[in-house]
Amino acid sequence: MFEKSLYDLIRGLRNHKGSEKEYIASSIKECRSEIRTNDMDLKSTALMKLTYLEMFGHDMSWASFNVLEVMSSPKYRHKRTGYLAAVQSFRRDTEVLMLAENQLKKDITSPTPTVISLPLGAIPHVVNPSMANGLLGDLLPRLTHSHAAIRKKTVVTLYRLALVYPETLRPAWPKIKERLLDDSEDPTVTAAIVNVVCELGWRRPQDFLPLAPRLFDLLVEGGNNWMAIKLIKLFATLTPLEPRLIKKLLPPLTRIIRETSAMSLLYECINGIIQGGILAAVEDTAEGEEVARLCVGKLRGMMIEGDANLKYVALLAFDKIVRSHPHLVSQQQDVILECIDDADISIRMCALDLVVGMVNVDNLTAIVGRLMRQLRNAPIVSSADDPANDRGRNTGVIPYAESDDSDAEESLRPAEQNSNEIPPLPEDYRVNVIRRILEMCSRDTYANISDFEWYIDVLVQLVRVSPATKPLSAAAADPEDDIHSADVGRGIGRELQNVAIRVRSARSEAVEAAQSLVIVDFRDKMFPSSGNGGQSVLKYAGWLVGEFAAYLSRPDPILTSLMHTSSVQLPPRILAVYIQAIPKVFSRLSGNDQISWTPERKTLMSLLMARIIHFLDPLSTHPDLEVQERAVEFLELMRLAAEAASGTSTSHPDGSNAEGDFIEPPLLLTQALPALFSGAELNPVAPGAQRKVPLPRDIDLEEPINRNLASLLAHAETAGFESDDDDIWTAYNEPPASTSTAATSLSYHDTPSAMTAAERLDAAANPKPSSYQNADAEDYLDADILLRRKLERRERYKDDPFYIDSEKERGSRGATPLGRIVRDQTEAAGEELDIDKIPIMDLSKELGMGSRATRGEEGNGSGRRSPRKKKAVEIIADETVGPAEDSHADFLLLPNNKSGTGLPKSALLALDSSALGSLSLEDDSETPNSNSGSRARISALQRERKEKEDAEMRKAMQEVERLRLEMQRASERLEARGETVVRKKKKKKVRRVVDVEDDGQGVEGEIQGEKVDGGEEGEKEGVKKKKKKVKKKVEDGEGGGEGVGDGMGAEGEVVKKKKKKRRQVDLDAEA
Amino acid sequence: MINAVLVFNNAGQPRLTKFYTQLDTSVQQRLISEIFTLVANRPNSSCNFLPYVPFRASCFVLRASRLLSPVSRLPSPVSCLLSPTPARPRPAPPTNPTACSLPPLLASSSKSSTPTTPHNDTPSLVTYRHYATLYFIIISTSTESPLALLDLIQVFVEALDRLFENVCELDLIFNFETLHATLGELIVGGVVIETQLDKVVEGVKAQGKVAKRPVNEGKSLGGFGRGEGLWAGR
Repeated sequence: MFEKSLYDLIRGLRNHKGSEKEYIASSIKECRSEIRTNDMDLKSTALMKLTYLEMFGHDMSWASFNVLEVMSSPKYRHKRTGYLAAVQSFRRDTEVLMLAENQLKKDITSPTPTVISLPLGAIPHVVNPSMANGLLGDLLPRLTHSHAAIRKKTVVTLYRLALVYPETLRPAWPKIKERLLDDSEDPTVTAAIVNVVCELGWRRPQDFLPLAPRLFDLLVEGGNNWMAIKLIKLFATLTPLEPRLIKKLLPPLTRIIRETSAMSLLYECINGIIQGGILAAVEDTAEGEEVARLCVGKLRGMMIEGDANLKYVALLAFDKIVRSHPHLVSQQQDVILECIDDADISIRMCALDLVVGMVNVDNLTAIVGRLMRQLRNAPIVSSADDPANDRGRNTGVIPYAESDDSDAEESLRPAEQNSNEIPPLPEDYRVNVIRRILEMCSRDTYANISDFEWYIDVLVQLVRVSPATKPLSAAAADPEDDIHSADVGRGIGRELQNVAIRVRSARSEAVEAAQSLVIVDFRDKMFPSSGNGGQSVLKYAGWLVGEFAAYLSRPDPILTSLMHTSSVQLPPRILAVYIQAIPKVFSRLSGNDQISWTPERKTLMSLLMARIIHFLDPLSTHPDLEVQERAVEFLELMRLAAEAASGTSTSHPDGSNAEGDFIEPPLLLTQALPALFSGAELNPVAPGAQRKVPLPRDIDLEEPINRNLASLLAHAETAGFESDDDDIWTAYNEPPASTSTAATSLSYHDTPSAMTAAERLDAAANPKPSSYQNADAEDYLDADILLRRKLERRERYKDDPFYIDSEKERGSRGATPLGRIVRDQTEAAGEELDIDKIPIMDLSKELGMGSRATRGEEGNGSGRRSPRKKKAVEIIADETVGPAEDSHADFLLLPNNKSGTGLPKSALLALDSSALGSLSLEDDSETPNSNSGSRARISALQRERKEKEDAEMRKAMQEVERLRLEMQRASERLEARGETVVRKKKKKKVRRVVDVEDDGQGVEGEIQGEKVDGGEEGEKEGVKKKKKKVKKKVEDGEGGGEGVGDGMGAEGEVVKKKKKKRRQVDLDAEA
Repeated sequence: MINAVLVFNNAGQPRLTKFYTQLDTSVQQRLISEIFTLVANRPNSSCNFLPYVPFRASCFVLRASRLLSPVSRLPSPVSCLLSPTPARPRPAPPTNPTACSLPPLLASSSKSSTPTTPHNDTPSLVTYRHYATLYFIIISTSTESPLALLDLIQVFVEALDRLFENVCELDLIFNFETLHATLGELIVGGVVIETQLDKVVEGVKAQGKVAKRPVNEGKSLGGFGRGEGLWAGR
């Protein structure tokens, strides 16, 4: 007896400090050999040790067969070890599960209660649908076992069976109900049944209404607080279905609230009154007032009492009331606000949720002020405190007990409540607070805000208290995923942007704020001192200073800051916005055509443009495509502008710009550039509004814009692969030939051969924009030619800024300015009509767009959008400008006509969600094995896969069994002939055969008869036969149950009849 | 329903793990360590719930090195229901700016469902209680009553105390089978079947004699695990 016991193992672990890993490895090795012996004691000890080590994460799935062996030992002690090991180590994919079924069946029918308990406890952990079906027949009789302990465990086990195999409930539910209705039943069994009913109850409450009288009696009789809590929870789901219950429930509930000594029961009573809609139902009666006062009074008491747990749950309850009875909650404002500063973060979070619900015009400033103070006073966590790993992932847990055993010998007493250290604000709490502030303030499109200057100050302050974002998560996060991103800077920036756009009166303040954020010199002051917290706000601030450059009080430092060397280090998203803002601010500086074009001004402008070019030039090779594209576009634009400004076209003979030193400043600066960025004012657009813009009937999205695209692309590609530079050169240069050498060479000098393919593609893509403008535009034009043409056109249409405008937009591929032009072309009246006719308000109301509901959504955005589409139609149809405008007008009217379709659409959406809701419910009631959230999402998929695997497995097993049977028969024949057979082998085989016979319950013959493909069929047969049996039993039991009027029995019968029919058909077919 | 019951000590060493839904061993371990990190860093005056938080940013987790280093314990209890022995005061662990929400594993999954109303089937509540060197954790869905779960933990511990007579962590280390058996009398398959102390104790005792830990483990015989009752008791 040199083997280690569990005790030795644990002691050994404690004595091998520092070398646990080696010790465990060697122990597991020992177990591996011990578990293979025939000595059952040794086996079970080894299994016990493995189970202990499994707790620390050491895999023991390899021992699953040995688990079965130990389970099948006749000794209770071994069985217990085996069952524990099975519970702890069996997973869905454990292969021996199939074999375990028989052992489970055997033990369920054991005469010894303690033995019965073992499978009853284990089945919930290991059960799968096919096994559930097999075990059902054996479990049902246990519901009437003489021991109450067995009965109550059986009830729960049946419930778990039903979760994986809903059919369980057909035969089981009548019996369980019988137990529940039996007054003489042991109270503990009744309590267990109530627990199960409660679990089932919220899935399909309507089925449990008939039981309400009995449940009500149980509630009134009381005695068991746990059961009472469960009953109250169940009733809370029943009251919406049966309003009469409310009247009946109210007296006992108020009595319990007044009388009970158990705080948990008291709380759940209040909770039940709230959740069951009782409070709302009796709202206007004197009784209701009293109830409300009682509940709120008790909750207030819980808040004041000082117990953190009570405070927490009281806040939860308040949170539920606040939706329906905000006035009741705001009466308790004092205690709730107190909780915002509570030391316990859980409570703070809860209070925060609550406060968001109860905010109104009067208390907004106070609440936000309180939160702001909290944010400002707590230090920001430095990144050094940010541990990136947790132990489980890195090292695994090493089991050890403490060196000083006296600690472990300490009696278990509740931990004392004296460590009152207040942790610094955790980052996610900080993020949460900031989000909630934004949410509160922006609620219902700023309904609660009276002073926007205050709000802007709050926003600016929030930037300073923003926690740093982790670069890793920032990179990994989907840039659009704002809600879950830790980056609050974006949220703040969006609010700033929102205010600037929506609130015209506050726009200058908002832009001022954005300006202060952007200016580099202020950066230390405006942003948190450590980390990159709030940085994302720059994206929006950058946009604001650009878009509303006219409001800038100090455009020069802004331009300097935008082009600061540190800007290049900004994330690409922000940098791209900056690049866009630079020409906007520049045009604000340069665009004044009233000031004479003095040499001084010329120098200044040239200098500015030189700086811009200097800044943009390196960015034209930036790795981020968006940055690169914008940089290249504006670089070219600026170069042109610089040319125009300097008027030194002599060095570029093709520049053809001979403006020289006019007293009047160059039009490119005063007209063209500003026109790029001015135009229609931006207006907020409701989310989804664009989707509502109906597709014109004559547009065919399937139709290619340019039918030759494929060939063009192919051509470009082949051209790109050609190594012959000259060829490409000529191919590229052919169309422009003599006209555009200057511009072409510009782009060519940079990257001669590598660029060609791309430029080819550009050229191929160019027909689109060119045909936007003019039907007569040539299909195959280079970018630089377009640019040149643009310049020419600009010359031609000097006096018509809008036209030039449009050209420039095309060149820079600005999508929105294009719309602006179109809008300008449109009659103002038509535009207004458009705005009014788009059913935006309805839309946002109906879709329930929460915090971002856009009140002032205007047709402008969609109007802008639609002309674009419209234009796209033109391209396809090759229409001229005149008819285009006509159809454009038609189109503007369309939203009008279609407003009817908009409404049903949202109604349809609503239907959709309700369908989804009912679907998920159904899903839950049928397959609630997805109830552990860690797998909730994947479970559906997994289940499917598992089921498939199960089916395959079954098939395979059947095949194996069939072969075994054949072999067995062969060996029997051999034996009969007197041949010797290896004992051990035979023993094993015989046992297996017995398994099969149990399994198939006399369908053996069929299974034998079936070929491999028919394996599954055979099993089905077995199942059906069993069902038939079960059904008989059920029918016996139904005699009593039917009187209660439960629909279940009847329904079940119908189904069964159907099945029976099908079975007969099957049999016929087989016959 | 109850999704899991966990017991671990102040160092995060598991003493009991019971998951009522099947989970991979590695996932179990991660969950344990995540919950430990969250729970161990809460001040004792905090409430005993880790709530569901819709806007969860990221949870902090401890460095591995800190976890495996010799344990620093939370101050020990004085107010006790089970035994009046005063305990030695110990230095509090360095408080970590820890997350206050659900462990990432749970939170990430519940996030997928509607953020404001956690579904009835998702485990959204972590209830814990700290006794001397041990943490008792229950992970449950929102359909359970939080206060009642605290009472349930109390019943569990009292039952253990009854069975082991002044129970301590060592008892549970060496008798983890009894620990499981006790839990099995309280909860089956995630559903509570019994809340009365007497019945629970009775149920465990019916399964066989409960072993006591040796007075001095050095002297004891190495028979545990191969048969119960080998230890004489203290």
